[in-house]
Amino acid sequence: MNATNLAATSVGSAPIRHDAADKVIGAARYPADAVPADALHAVVVFSNRPHARILTLDTSAARATPGVVAVFTAADVPVNEYGLTMFDQPVFVGPADTGRSSVAADISRWEADQIAMVVAETTEAARLGAAAIHSVWEDLPRVDDTDRALAVDAPLLHPENGLETNAYHHLNIRKGDIDRGWAEADVTIESTYEVPHQEHAFLQPEAGTSYIDDDGRVTVECTGQWIHEDRGQIAHALGLSDDEVRVIYLAIGGAFGGKEDMSIQIVLALAAKKLAEHGEHRPVHCRWSREESIVGHHKRHRGRINARLGATSDGIITALEAEVTLDSGGYNYTSNKVLGNAHLSVAGPYRVPNAVIHSQAVYTTTVPGGAFRGFGGPQGAFAIECQLNKLAAELDIDPAEIRRRNALHDGDIGITQSVLPQGVTATEVIDACVARSGWEAPLRPAAPFNPIASLPAETGAIRRGRGFAAGYKNVGFSFGFPERSEAEIHLHGDGDTPDRADLFHGGSDVGQGAHLAFRQIAADAVGLALEAVTGHFSDTATSGDSGSASASRLTFMAGNSILGAAEEADKAWRDGQRPAVGRFRYVPPPTEPLNPETGAGTPNFSYGYMATEAEVSVDTGTGHIRVDRIVSTHDVGKAINPALVRGQIEGAVVQAHGYTLSENLQLSEGHVTTPRLSSYLIPGIGDIPEVVDSVILELADPLGPYGARGMAEMPYITYAPAVIAAVHDATGVWFDSFPLTPAKVLAALG
Amino acid sequence: MVANAVQIRLSVNGESHDLEVEPRTLLVYALRDDIGLTGTNIGCDSSSCGACTVLVDGRSVKSCTMLAVQAEGAEITTIEGLAATSDGDGLHPMQQAFHEYHGLQCGYCTPGMILASVSLIDEYPDLDESGVREGLEGNLCRCTGYNNIVKAVLQVAGKEA
Ligand code: FES
Ligand code: FES
Repeated sequence: MNATNLAATSVGSAPIRHDAADKVIGAARYPADAVPADALHAVVVFSNRPHARILTLDTSAARATPGVVAVFTAADVPVNEYGLTMFDQPVFVGPADTGRSSVAADISRWEADQIAMVVAETTEAARLGAAAIHSVWEDLPRVDDTDRALAVDAPLLHPENGLETNAYHHLNIRKGDIDRGWAEADVTIESTYEVPHQEHAFLQPEAGTSYIDDDGRVTVECTGQWIHEDRGQIAHALGLSDDEVRVIYLAIGGAFGGKEDMSIQIVLALAAKKLAEHGEHRPVHCRWSREESIVGHHKRHRGRINARLGATSDGIITALEAEVTLDSGGYNYTSNKVLGNAHLSVAGPYRVPNAVIHSQAVYTTTVPGGAFRGFGGPQGAFAIECQLNKLAAELDIDPAEIRRRNALHDGDIGITQSVLPQGVTATEVIDACVARSGWEAPLRPAAPFNPIASLPAETGAIRRGRGFAAGYKNVGFSFGFPERSEAEIHLHGDGDTPDRADLFHGGSDVGQGAHLAFRQIAADAVGLALEAVTGHFSDTATSGDSGSASASRLTFMAGNSILGAAEEADKAWRDGQRPAVGRFRYVPPPTEPLNPETGAGTPNFSYGYMATEAEVSVDTGTGHIRVDRIVSTHDVGKAINPALVRGQIEGAVVQAHGYTLSENLQLSEGHVTTPRLSSYLIPGIGDIPEVVDSVILELADPLGPYGARGMAEMPYITYAPAVIAAVHDATGVWFDSFPLTPAKVLAALG
Repeated sequence: MVANAVQIRLSVNGESHDLEVEPRTLLVYALRDDIGLTGTNIGCDSSSCGACTVLVDGRSVKSCTMLAVQAEGAEITTIEGLAATSDGDGLHPMQQAFHEYHGLQCGYCTPGMILASVSLIDEYPDLDESGVREGLEGNLCRCTGYNNIVKAVLQVAGKEA
């Protein structure tokens, strides 16, 4: 297959999204819009206890509540365990004698462990039933943070893993000769960085409907990021085969990693199955309130990074040490994988001859950390980029120049002691960002502003500054994961060439427009107009396993699978088959886990490269920060749809803006105390950077479809360190933690 | 199973609906659950996000902050009825602009954002960019970064961004 030979007419253009028409007239069907008239309504009951053992669970009053149809608990779950990368979480926490599970199912390890699902005629009745559930608990010592978790007398939260500590997943790097690296260093930068939690705040809270379909499959219509993984986890917990379960995604109101793990899917499936066994065939609908959503699903990991960087007086890195600790919360979710990315990111896209890095994931009794746009990248990049900016300041070398001097090139050995995948473009993105931002010209003067728009603009107290950061992020699942993506294409027509095609794909359109990009790729590959390609998406009954809409992998992986299916369909067409059917499973070059001691290995098959320039104004009187301009520069390989690519950049920048400046998830005694959008502040239209300049480079990835690289996480990753460098430039203060709320800034300015 | 039900008549998108609701029923639930107009989305429950924005006598209102009974006697426009309020036979110009300028990704904020924008332009036809930013402060979007939304609204206001 030689993708680049294909005549691209749809790819590279920005046709209007087919789903946009539905979305502007209110016809898109999100799960809460697709509730059958006869549906029952379900409520999930949380333990509300960060760490406690359940002694008794009495549901009799709940069952007797008018309108309540059934109450399901741990006693109903055939295999009471789940998890995306390890089964360390009970579906329901329940008294000791219930359920088969590899993890002690009678212990709540965070406040949103689920203990029951109440199914009723109405949501109100279900809520009354939930309130009537009576449980008796023995409180256990809370483990509020990783310091507490690592103390010698800390309770072990997952003794089933056989470890003597709550630090349950470790990664190492031992590269070169660290002693020599320090001996060669003229300067050393040493800092401790603290990165905060972040809530996804997708606008559409979790919702779904379950029923038994006409073929007898336990079916869940919901939203998520990977239909086949959801199906697998449901089937495992219900003791069914994969074929007995069906997962369909309706319109998805944002995900960002926050819908990668299970929330209501397993318990909804359980309810439909159990009710059907008792002759009740009405579908079951459940939707979470915003508060249930914020309390009930994982967050971006908070963590700490102790970092030490050594360099010559020319700014050439000689030694790097880092200790990365991420708070996994009560359960792993994807923490072990996120940790892997943080581990690689903490060295940045730079030549590091000598390194010692240790990264660990640690259980606590707080909200789990998990997938969120960037997947460990933002945490690692924050540390190395701040280190480099401090080094540049210390040596009085331009921050962009110091990155050029250390940047990786094609053929270089990366931090994992293997040659990086071809197409290393770190220098190119740095240069492009410098050129576009006018980095070498003097900073433009400050424009007055006042954070309260109705008040007159302040001038005297405003200071301006600018900062720079660069980075890289892997594309696709790493460390030996069996990556794959499947596609199927049917070509129809009576003439010599097909006049219509059906495309079947499992990939999830979480809002990014993936299904349009899929159709664009298919249209070009089979030589049809976009309108002649009909998509059939996100239903395990009709599509093969696409893998997840995450890790910036979807366009890359799905694109390659669609190109392969098109070629197969074309062959079948020429063989006279009608409709001509092509199926293809794309498998990228294999990756491998890292050596446990040295970290040697080939963890990834592709990377994207990026750089960000930030200009800020800081009001030293109030502590408010205004981001005046962001130049967000990306090598996307090939922009399959430039408008969608720009949309990803602008959206990621604003999410990162919230992470850096305003989003401030608060925990108290193991409970989230900011569970509403009125207390957890995501950026509104008045808070965003004044100008977001998206710079798109198209330096082909040799493996990507049409040369495309993954790109949806990259704009996020370099934002915080660039802004924090700009704030330093403006005020002379380095912030090693964030969000930079006005109160925090003011306190630091003294 | 409606306790203390009251009878109300709501005029929505030019059609009259006789409903039996509890006095505490919020307008958004009457629209979605009783009338079946699910284009109006719910994103928060704390009047923070604007996803539920509708027009009440032409002015934007967060329908999770208004009781259904309070809307009696008013003309309510939801996203499903917006196109019919404009002259052409296709989309309303604001819908067209959001569509063309990629003013949406997941689309969940979109109905509320469009209706808030319609009301804004109607009230301040001479809007510039900072006016758009100020006027849409009550509507959150987590996907787009807002840039394309601003462009779409300015285009309708006759000020190409
Ligand atoms: S649902 Fe009404 S403002 Fe959020
Ligand atoms: S498009 Fe997703 S919230 Fe606005």
